[in-house]
Amino acid sequence: MQQRSVKEKEPRLRSSTVALRLNNLGVEFPTALGNPVVAIRDLSLEIDHGTILGLVGESGAGKTTLARSLLNLPPVPGRITSGECIFDGTDLRKLSEGEQRKRRGRDLSIIVPNPRSELNPMITVGDQIATRAEIHLKIDRAEAQARALEMLKKVQIPDPVRRMKAYPHELSGGMAQRVVIAMALVCSPQFVISDDASSGLDVTVQAQILRLMRELAMEQQSAMLFITRDIGIAAHFCDQVAVMYAGEIVEIGTRENIFLRPRHPYTIMLMAAFSHNAGLRAQWRRPDDQAAPRNSQGACSYASRCPLAQEACRSDHPHLRELALGHQARCHFPVERL
Amino acid sequence: MNTLTYIARRLMFIAPQILGIVLVSFLLVKTIPGDPATLMLGPTATPQAITALRHEMGLDQPVLIQFGIYLRNLSKGDLGTSWQTTRPVLEDLLMRFPATLELVSAGLLTAILIGLPLGLVSAFRPKSWFARAVDFYSLGVGSLPDFWLALVLIFIFYTLLGIAPPPLGRIDLALTPPPQITGMYLIDTLLIWDLPAFRSSLSHLVLPVLALGLINAGPILKMTQSTVEKMLQSDFSRYEVLCGLPHNLVLRHALRNALPSILTIISVLYGFLIGGAVLIEIIFSWGGAGQYAVQGVLNSDLFPVLGFVLFSAIFSLTVYLIVDLIYFAIDPRLGN
Repeated sequence: MQQRSVKEKEPRLRSSTVALRLNNLGVEFPTALGNPVVAIRDLSLEIDHGTILGLVGESGAGKTTLARSLLNLPPVPGRITSGECIFDGTDLRKLSEGEQRKRRGRDLSIIVPNPRSELNPMITVGDQIATRAEIHLKIDRAEAQARALEMLKKVQIPDPVRRMKAYPHELSGGMAQRVVIAMALVCSPQFVISDDASSGLDVTVQAQILRLMRELAMEQQSAMLFITRDIGIAAHFCDQVAVMYAGEIVEIGTRENIFLRPRHPYTIMLMAAFSHNAGLRAQWRRPDDQAAPRNSQGACSYASRCPLAQEACRSDHPHLRELALGHQARCHFPVERL
Repeated sequence: MNTLTYIARRLMFIAPQILGIVLVSFLLVKTIPGDPATLMLGPTATPQAITALRHEMGLDQPVLIQFGIYLRNLSKGDLGTSWQTTRPVLEDLLMRFPATLELVSAGLLTAILIGLPLGLVSAFRPKSWFARAVDFYSLGVGSLPDFWLALVLIFIFYTLLGIAPPPLGRIDLALTPPPQITGMYLIDTLLIWDLPAFRSSLSHLVLPVLALGLINAGPILKMTQSTVEKMLQSDFSRYEVLCGLPHNLVLRHALRNALPSILTIISVLYGFLIGGAVLIEIIFSWGGAGQYAVQGVLNSDLFPVLGFVLFSAIFSLTVYLIVDLIYFAIDPRLGN
């Protein structure tokens, strides 16, 4: 913990520790009417080795689109319109399809939610994990099987030898989630995306799985993008937190900065929504609150929902500004004090 | 053990199923207008002779009594006699059913060989020109009758090009057909190692099999295409892609998951074609069981029709049983 906060003091200086850098990513979804919906707008990110970056935001903010676009596989029918994804010194999007495929699952892997439907129902769990190891690490079947078994032990599945031969339908949700984690980590990737992987589990299992993911990621010195809708989990689990709204990062910073000194009204509203203080909730939420219209060019995308919105917010799109060391917010009038 | 109990339970149901099928077809055949006695004796017969023959054949008895007699004979292995061929129906069918089975099996195999790969490729590349061509093909064969295609094939390959044998039966008329072992000429000629006869029966099979295969590839293709496409869009296939598995592996897994649906359509087609290939049989003078049954219907020859129904019912039920067992083998979720 101590060690990590030291690193936060000088985030820009040690650029060699950056595991993945995303520059100006834009993703659009075509619509029948012609005007595409902008799902991700000009988004830049950096994640260091050995760091967990939490990404929070409500449904539809573009979290999953971002996760899959990092692998250059945006959800169908989405289309990446701009940006580069620098990993290991190269822009992933400039690589050939085959080279990209080799890196997916080996260097960058993703842990998905709803694991029961993400596993092939006709193939045993052990084979599914082993296949990934066999293909990516170019090892023989027996070795891959051994590695799969080792992975199942690491994710603390009870009776791993027997579970190797289990089919996905024979597993509980929590066990299936562990299998997906084992699958994502079997090649020791340097960058792991967890896309809402803890949702749908009950709280005790969730805590176990989170601890497990953290231990495994730290053990391999991987960087992790941890996507969640639960700001409470982000507060417990992540080193850095980014808050996403309408396809943009509206606030990003160290965990301490975000949770102790939130500056963006949306971040505060999200936190208020999780608090038990009804007065606080009412203060940070407009009575006519509803999903914001997309493509609000020339305005802050949160302006229509923001209780503090002023004239400038409706006419001028704010940029992400550095408010303090390791703390940026996209707001014309960042909140000074709660 | 589990599977054995399942087979036993399924076999137990086969007898009542067949009984029901025979009863219904017996009653249906009885409603066909036309009196076999009149037809047998011809236009010059006296009414007395007809009445006497009707009595002799048991046609003056109530329908249910007639059915009872039929069942009693059936239990002794007697399927009745056809008045057209004047031979026991069982003998006739044992000779003709393999002919139909050979034709239909080869036709279905061809349909699978055409439909499965085409469906697979067009599911994998749904927007390519190839997929569009495949769509056009399946639409085309879906709207064409097989007998029409058979006539076109005969016209091109026999009449115009002269490379196909005339559509007159299963083997060159100058050759002796092989002795009946399985009843399928392709197998029998190989068993006695008569290569000229094998070649001849093979060349006689080509056009009818092609007609059946090209047309019936349509449903197999469509089913493969839609289920594999659905599997490729499902979460687990997407996750395999996200995990960087190679395309051919993802496709193979999708096919494996789609296989139960494809097998279903194939098994239904198999049962259907036993009777459904009759127009092809007629065009190529195949002398198969379907042709035999249709002759029976047209001439109020009851027993061949019932015998055919019985044979194809047993055949279909066996195919379905085998397919169900294959489901068990490929889908672990059905294990219990």
